[in-house]
Amino acid sequence: MISNEEKVNHILRRAVARNGKHLWTGTALAGVYQLCAALVPVLIGVIVDRAVSTGDVAALLLWIGVLALTYLVLVVTYRYGARHLQRAIAQEGHLLRVEVAARILHPRGLRTDRHAGDLLTVSTSDADYTSYFLDHIPRITSSLVAVGVSAVTLLLISAPLGLAVLIATPIVLAVLNLTAPLIARRVKDQQDQAGRATSLATDLVTGLRPLRGIGAQDAAAERYRVVSRQSLDATLRASRTQNAYLAASTTLSTLLAGGIAIAAGWSALTGRITVGQFITVIGSAQFLIEPFGVLAVVPSWVAAARAAAGRVASVTEAGLVLPEGAASPADTRCDLRLSRVTHGSLDGLDLHVRPGEFVGVVAHRPADAEALVRLLTTPHGYGGDILLAGERLDAVDRGRARRLLHVEPHRTDLFSGTLASNISVRAATGADGLPDALRAAAADEVADLHPDGLDAPVSERGANLSGGQRQRIALARALLARPPLLVLHDPTTAVDAVTEHAIAGGIRALRHGPDAGYGTLVITSSPAMLAAADRVVVIGDGTVTAEGTHAELAAGDETYRRTVLR
Amino acid sequence: MNTLPIAGAAATRSWLGAELRARRASATLTLIAGVLAAGATIVPAYALGLLVDRIRAGGDIGAILPVATVIVVAALVGGPATGYAGYLIRRLGSRILADLRERTVDTALRLPAQVLDRVGRGDLLSRVSADITAVDRAVSEVLPTMISALLLAVISLAAIAGIDWRLGLAGAVAVPLYVLGLRWYLPRAAPAYAAERVAIADRSQQLVESMQGIRTVHTYHLEDRHLDGIATASARARDISMSVFALYTRFVGRISRAELVGLGSVLVVGFLLVQKNAVTVGEVSATALLFHRLFGPLILLMVTFDKAQDAGASLARLVGVLEMPLPRAPSSPAPGGGELVLDRVGFAYDDGPPVLRDVTLRLAPGEVVALVGSTGAGKTTAASLAAGILRPTSGTATLGGVPVADLPARTIAIVSQETHVFAGPLGEDLRLARPKATDEDLAAALDRVGALDWARDLPAGLDTVVGDGGHHLTAARAQQLALARVVLLDPAVVVLDEATAEAGSAGARDLERAAAAALEGRTALVVAHRLTQAAAADRVVVMEHGEIVESGPHEVLVAAGGRYAQLWGAWSARSAG
Repeated sequence: MISNEEKVNHILRRAVARNGKHLWTGTALAGVYQLCAALVPVLIGVIVDRAVSTGDVAALLLWIGVLALTYLVLVVTYRYGARHLQRAIAQEGHLLRVEVAARILHPRGLRTDRHAGDLLTVSTSDADYTSYFLDHIPRITSSLVAVGVSAVTLLLISAPLGLAVLIATPIVLAVLNLTAPLIARRVKDQQDQAGRATSLATDLVTGLRPLRGIGAQDAAAERYRVVSRQSLDATLRASRTQNAYLAASTTLSTLLAGGIAIAAGWSALTGRITVGQFITVIGSAQFLIEPFGVLAVVPSWVAAARAAAGRVASVTEAGLVLPEGAASPADTRCDLRLSRVTHGSLDGLDLHVRPGEFVGVVAHRPADAEALVRLLTTPHGYGGDILLAGERLDAVDRGRARRLLHVEPHRTDLFSGTLASNISVRAATGADGLPDALRAAAADEVADLHPDGLDAPVSERGANLSGGQRQRIALARALLARPPLLVLHDPTTAVDAVTEHAIAGGIRALRHGPDAGYGTLVITSSPAMLAAADRVVVIGDGTVTAEGTHAELAAGDETYRRTVLR
Repeated sequence: MNTLPIAGAAATRSWLGAELRARRASATLTLIAGVLAAGATIVPAYALGLLVDRIRAGGDIGAILPVATVIVVAALVGGPATGYAGYLIRRLGSRILADLRERTVDTALRLPAQVLDRVGRGDLLSRVSADITAVDRAVSEVLPTMISALLLAVISLAAIAGIDWRLGLAGAVAVPLYVLGLRWYLPRAAPAYAAERVAIADRSQQLVESMQGIRTVHTYHLEDRHLDGIATASARARDISMSVFALYTRFVGRISRAELVGLGSVLVVGFLLVQKNAVTVGEVSATALLFHRLFGPLILLMVTFDKAQDAGASLARLVGVLEMPLPRAPSSPAPGGGELVLDRVGFAYDDGPPVLRDVTLRLAPGEVVALVGSTGAGKTTAASLAAGILRPTSGTATLGGVPVADLPARTIAIVSQETHVFAGPLGEDLRLARPKATDEDLAAALDRVGALDWARDLPAGLDTVVGDGGHHLTAARAQQLALARVVLLDPAVVVLDEATAEAGSAGARDLERAAAAALEGRTALVVAHRLTQAAAADRVVVMEHGEIVESGPHEVLVAAGGRYAQLWGAWSARSAG
């Protein structure tokens, strides 16, 4: 078992290794850039000393030239260094994101407790934060370069002054950093409160119609106002802490820089250093604060990157629900057999769908229907046997199993695109059979309502279609896929009775003509659907309680009649 | 108008001006603290310049004392002033923003349904979430930096000019270069950032759709296709963000150029002035130090400009919402019941064809009327007109003689097919209908719609967090909650629009019972495609193509053998086996 620590190290090491070229080029250039920036205050001192004080024109031209040259190198190294680094960071973020997405979409199912919103965060923010590790390396390097250059300069000018700067600055920064956790806590609280206000606003506007339906706008606005004020309070609390820190850090760093300047002034007054050296010391002491500041906060950045990498690893290294299936049964005329199956509320269920058969299932308890659908979708954690064409379902290769046994979920998922792109999802199926599938699912009426027909746009999650339209489109999609075994779960709950009847007939005609050999299992309590089925199986309390044709059951079974008679 | 309005620059400025005027005292105090902080920051550099001259003049060691005093005092004053100014800026901005966001949400919640239908909810959602967040972030992170950097720059230049106006002028040479840099960068950055945001939003959409639709992705073996889509969108976002960044590095190059030119000209002009004995070496040193000290704040100021520009765009979108006209608050008193009447109403969306023609419908107090008909017959439109959500293009919709759109908001409740469970504790969801409801009231309402048992069985009972990110409730339970809200609201009139449709067959029967319980004692218009609901109503009205074709009690219409009898046949014949 690999520890989480090792997984994180692996992700970060791999990030460095696979972006090595851009990372190290960028780091080297960033180091040179920082060197040039550190030289600027030194050069100011030199120019005052050698030119302004002396009136030497040649010296002025020479050192202004050196200043210009320093800036040229600075600009060029920054531009190209930063671009190389950005390239490394953006590329790593992209690679991690795709890797996370691939794991989430894995056909054998990701074993995770995270819900969709959480997974989105892992694949966006966490992938990005992990990639920022590549930014920390050059920052540390160039801060060390800047500290080194300034230290050497100061030590050359005056050893006691240099030592004072190099010892006092880190101490001051370390003291200031002691408050970091408090600030982080306050800022997090502020962000949480702001997030609450945002989610509330989003939620209220999303539910605007139901809200308006009961005239609750005032109550909703008042609720938002309360949360908004709480958010304001948290903001002001965080701001007080942050600005108290700002006050303290400004005071301390100005005192530090001032103290160094006073000491340097004393050295200059007693003739131990020149005026130019005095200016250089002041400039460098001022300049040093920034790289030291970076070095002080780097540990917290790295900690954030490691935490993000840990969350990325929790997805990319997570186990899969289903085992690798190897069996590959023949692809036509296959049957499905459940024997004494237990799972969730199911308690010894027997069910057999033969090739060519149209079977209706009525479940008295919705939980039984859900358990059955869940199990056929993901055969995991059950007792008894589920055999697909004689092979254990969980031993069948996933891709193959899904082609043979197609389970269409009740909650329809449409994707942004067009009606056509949602129905003909597999390029391989092409337009062949499309008109038949459309007609059978009564989805042709949906297309007819729009001037663009099948090219009518579908927005995210099919939000621009009504529930009944979504069901018909999803049904057409399932019928077009022409799976040997098709499982439908309450496919027509949002369509009117006339259309429902037409759909039942459509499915029968499309899939159960002479010699078609397709099996269809519809879990429903719609009499229209059940009447079209060859056989109806009734599940009560997790097991089969009755079986027969719809007409037989409706005639002889009072419970059945109450369930399906509406 | 197919999108929500965006305020123009002048309108946004005048809004901001009005907000600042309303907080005049606070704004003035903020400015004073900011100036004090900036002043204290530059004093040490000035004092050190004086020290340079003393050193050159070979002054005695005592010369250090006044300079040291000034530096220490400046630090002790400047530090707290900087912190205080930062806090005041943030406080001023946050308070203005809090008022703005509350007014925006308040307006958003009251927009007329037709406006909302036309502009779509996406735009409004992004305003109350993304735009408010963007302005909030700007107020926290950008505004204090910008204002303090701006004050520091102005006061530093003033101080340099105070030393010698020619030195001030030499330093000011950098200003146009900074401005040119910004003017080069901002127009290029704005569309680049916009493109980046679109690419990132597209990437998120691909990720979200794939994750939420994962069962369908698996069922149709679409894993590779969706992964390709994600990878392509992610790569596009990566490429755009790199090109945006390349632009940024060129901008930083321009800023560096401005620094070099400013610093160089201060030193050269200083050199010349020292030659003429117009200024001292110490004064030139002080100027150079002041100038070098400005680099950090100036670069911050420059790079926050595009964030400020972004926030400005978001601000204009928020102020735009505030400017929208709202329907005037209803002033009519609630009628004590009375007949709900649609009198020869017609309706058309914008310039579209009429969806309702000459529909007349009367509901006696306490009467339950079912509206049936095929898709597109105009049932939902008629229901929306009766509930006052839409206003008729012709004819009138009245309750007790008062137009329904002028009634106080809580007189007529409508429950539509669109369910929503409000995020938060279950009890808080229900209290939207009656904020002062006691726990007993909530329990009674849940009990009436048959939801109390499962609600009590939730992990934390009525305190269970439901909705987005909370405990998931099935569509049927969400509908029961909607009905429980109606019970709490206790309106005289209820309109139910296909409220049982998406629940699945087994759940639909429970919902029918719940709806019947919620409607007890109220006048009700029920849009039904489950004809058991129609059969249970006092009267059935059949609509086709925007007109009423039949009306009467269930048995009478069935016996009449018309359109309703046909629908009933399709519904019940097979049920009977």
